[in-house]
Amino acid sequence: MRFVLSRTEDIIAAVVTAGVGSFIVIEAGGYRMGTLTSMGPGYFPTILGWTMIALAALILVTSRPTEVLRLPGHRELRGMLLVAASFGGFALTIERFGMIPAVTLAVFLAALASERNKLWMAAALGLGSAITCALIFRVGLGLQIEAF
Amino acid sequence: MSTLLSDLALGISIAVSFSGLFYCFLGVFLGTLVGVLPGIGIMATLAMLMPITFHLEPTLALIMLGGIYYGASYGGSTASILMNLPGTATSAVTGLDGYPMAKQGRAGQALFMTAIASFYGSIFGVILLAGFSVPLSRVALKFGPHEYVALMLLGLIAASVIGSGRSIRSLIAVSLGLALGLIGLDLNSGVARFTFGQTVLFDGLPLVAVAIGLFGLPEIIASAGRSVMPKVDDQKIRLRDMMPTREDWRRSWMPMLRGSGIGGFFGALPGTGGLVATFVSYAVERKVSKHPEEFGKGAIEGVAAPEAANNAAVQAAFIPTLSLGIPGDPVMAIMLGVMMVHGIIPGPTVIQESPDLFWGLIVSFVVGNLMLLVLNLPLVGMWVKILKIPYNLLFPVIVAFTCIGIYSVNYQIFDIFVLLAFGFLGLGMRALKFEVAPLLLGFVLGPMIEEYFRRALIVSRGDITSFFDRPIAGTILVITFLILLWAIGSKVWVGLRARRAAREAANA
Repeated sequence: MRFVLSRTEDIIAAVVTAGVGSFIVIEAGGYRMGTLTSMGPGYFPTILGWTMIALAALILVTSRPTEVLRLPGHRELRGMLLVAASFGGFALTIERFGMIPAVTLAVFLAALASERNKLWMAAALGLGSAITCALIFRVGLGLQIEAF
Repeated sequence: MSTLLSDLALGISIAVSFSGLFYCFLGVFLGTLVGVLPGIGIMATLAMLMPITFHLEPTLALIMLGGIYYGASYGGSTASILMNLPGTATSAVTGLDGYPMAKQGRAGQALFMTAIASFYGSIFGVILLAGFSVPLSRVALKFGPHEYVALMLLGLIAASVIGSGRSIRSLIAVSLGLALGLIGLDLNSGVARFTFGQTVLFDGLPLVAVAIGLFGLPEIIASAGRSVMPKVDDQKIRLRDMMPTREDWRRSWMPMLRGSGIGGFFGALPGTGGLVATFVSYAVERKVSKHPEEFGKGAIEGVAAPEAANNAAVQAAFIPTLSLGIPGDPVMAIMLGVMMVHGIIPGPTVIQESPDLFWGLIVSFVVGNLMLLVLNLPLVGMWVKILKIPYNLLFPVIVAFTCIGIYSVNYQIFDIFVLLAFGFLGLGMRALKFEVAPLLLGFVLGPMIEEYFRRALIVSRGDITSFFDRPIAGTILVITFLILLWAIGSKVWVGLRARRAAREAANA
C-alpha cells in the first residue's frame, strides 16, 4: 500500500494516459485506416493511441517514490469553487442578460473567493467593474455584446 | 545592402508612425505592469487584451502583443528582487541573488543592472531575429513535408527533454496534447473525429481558450485564496542611488554577453525558451566564476546573466514563429492564433509577402526596448508603488476581463467552458508536478504534424525511409535522436553514480 501511495502521481498519470490511449485506439477503429501511402482518418490516431499506452507503461515501470500528494485545503477549495462559479455564471448569463448583469455576477462571485472581501464590497466592486467594462468594450471598442 | 536599408526604412515608417508608437507603448507599459504584479501572468494578460487587438491592423496587433511579452520579462524581476516573489516564472532565478542584494540595501543597483542586462539581451535577440529569419525563411521555402515533420518532432522532443523535471512526464504531456489536437474534422477526408456529435467541435478545440485555461487560470485560482501579500521592503529607490559601482560593471559585462548567447540559442530552438535559458546561464556563471561561494548571497553576475538570457530568448523565440510558422512556446502559439484570426497564414511566406509586418515588428522591438529602459530606470519607483495595490480587489476584475476576452474571440459561450475545463486540467497537472507547456505544444503542433506526415508519405509513396534520404530532414532527425539518447544516457549515468556513492557510503 505504501508502494502505491508514494507513487500516486505517476500512477494517476499512467491510468489517465492509458485510458485516453485505449479510447483513441477503440474510437479510431471506427474510422477508415487506409494505407501508409494514402492514410485514412484512422491511421494517425491509432499510432498515437498505441504510443500513449506504451508511454503509460513506461512511466509505471520507471516510477520513483515522491512525497505524498497534498490535497487542497478548505480555503483553497473555496477559492477554486467560487472562481469556477464566476466563470460559469458569466457564461450562463452573457447571452441572455447582456454584459452588465454578467460582469456584475462574475466579479461578485470571484470577489467572494477572498475572505478579506465583505459582501457589500464584492457587490460594489461588481457593479463598478460592470459599468467600466460596458464603457470600455461596448462604447469604446464597439464589441458586439449587448449591455443588457 | 540596399535591400536591407529599404526594409529597415519600411519598418521605421510603420513602427515610428503615431499608431505604431502608441500601441508599442501600450504593449510595453501593460507588459511591465503585469510583469511587476505577481499572480497575473502574461497569458492572463493576453486573454484580457485580446478584444483590443481584433479591430487593429495585424501589424499593430502583433506590435502590441509582442510589447506585452518582452515588457513582462523586464517587469518580472522587480518583485523578484524586492520581495523574493517572482512576477513571472522566468524571473525566479533573478531572485536567487537579487533578493539578497536587496536585503544588503543594494536593491537599486540590482534593479539598474536588471534593466541594463534586459536591454542588452533584447537587442542581441533582435539582431539575431533580423539576421537569421530572412535566410531561414528562404531555406524554409524549399522545405517539403518531410522537413516540417522532422522540425516539429525536434521541437516536441526538445521541449520534453530540455525542460525541468523528468522527460517521461513531459513526453506524456506532449502525447495528451497530440490527442486533444485530434479533435475536429479530418482535413483530408472531412470525417469528424472525436467530436461526439457536437458541431462546435468541428473546428477543433479553440486554441486561445485552451492556452489561457492551461496557463492563466491556475495563476488566477492559486492567488484567489491568497489573502495577505508579502510586504515590500520600503527602501527609497531613486535614480541617483541606483548607479552600480565600477566593480559591479566590471563583473557584469561578460555574464551579460554569455547570458545573451545562451538565451538566443534556447529561445530560437522550438520547444524550449526563456525559463530553461535562465537556469542554464545561472549555472554557467556559477561554474566559470572565480568566487562561486558568493552566488545565492548577492552576486551581481547572478542577476545580470539570467536577465540577459531571458530577454534574448524572448526575442529569439520569434525566429521559428515568423520564419517557419512553428511556435516555440505558449505565448508564440497565441501570436500565431492572432495572426490566423487576421487571415495571415503563418509560415516562410510571411516575410516575403508582408515585409511591412516583419520589419515593422523588428523596428518596434528596438523602439519598445528603448521605452522600457525609460520605464524601468527613472520610473522604477512607480512600479514599486503598484506592488502595494490590494490583490483581493484586483483579481475579480481580472476574472471579468478574461471572460470578456475569451468570449469575444468567437462569441461562443462554449469557449468559456473550454477555458474552465482546461483551467482545472492545468491545476491538476501542476498538483501532480507535470509540466503544461509540452501539452500545449503537442496540441498546436499535432494537427500540423499529422498533415505533413500524410503529405510526406503520399509524396514518397509510403516509403518511411524517405525521411532519412533527404539531407535536411535526415540531419534534423539524427539531432533529435541524439538529444533523446543524451537525455536517457545522462539519466542512467546519474542513477549509476548515485548508486555507487550509496554503496561506498555503506562500506565506509
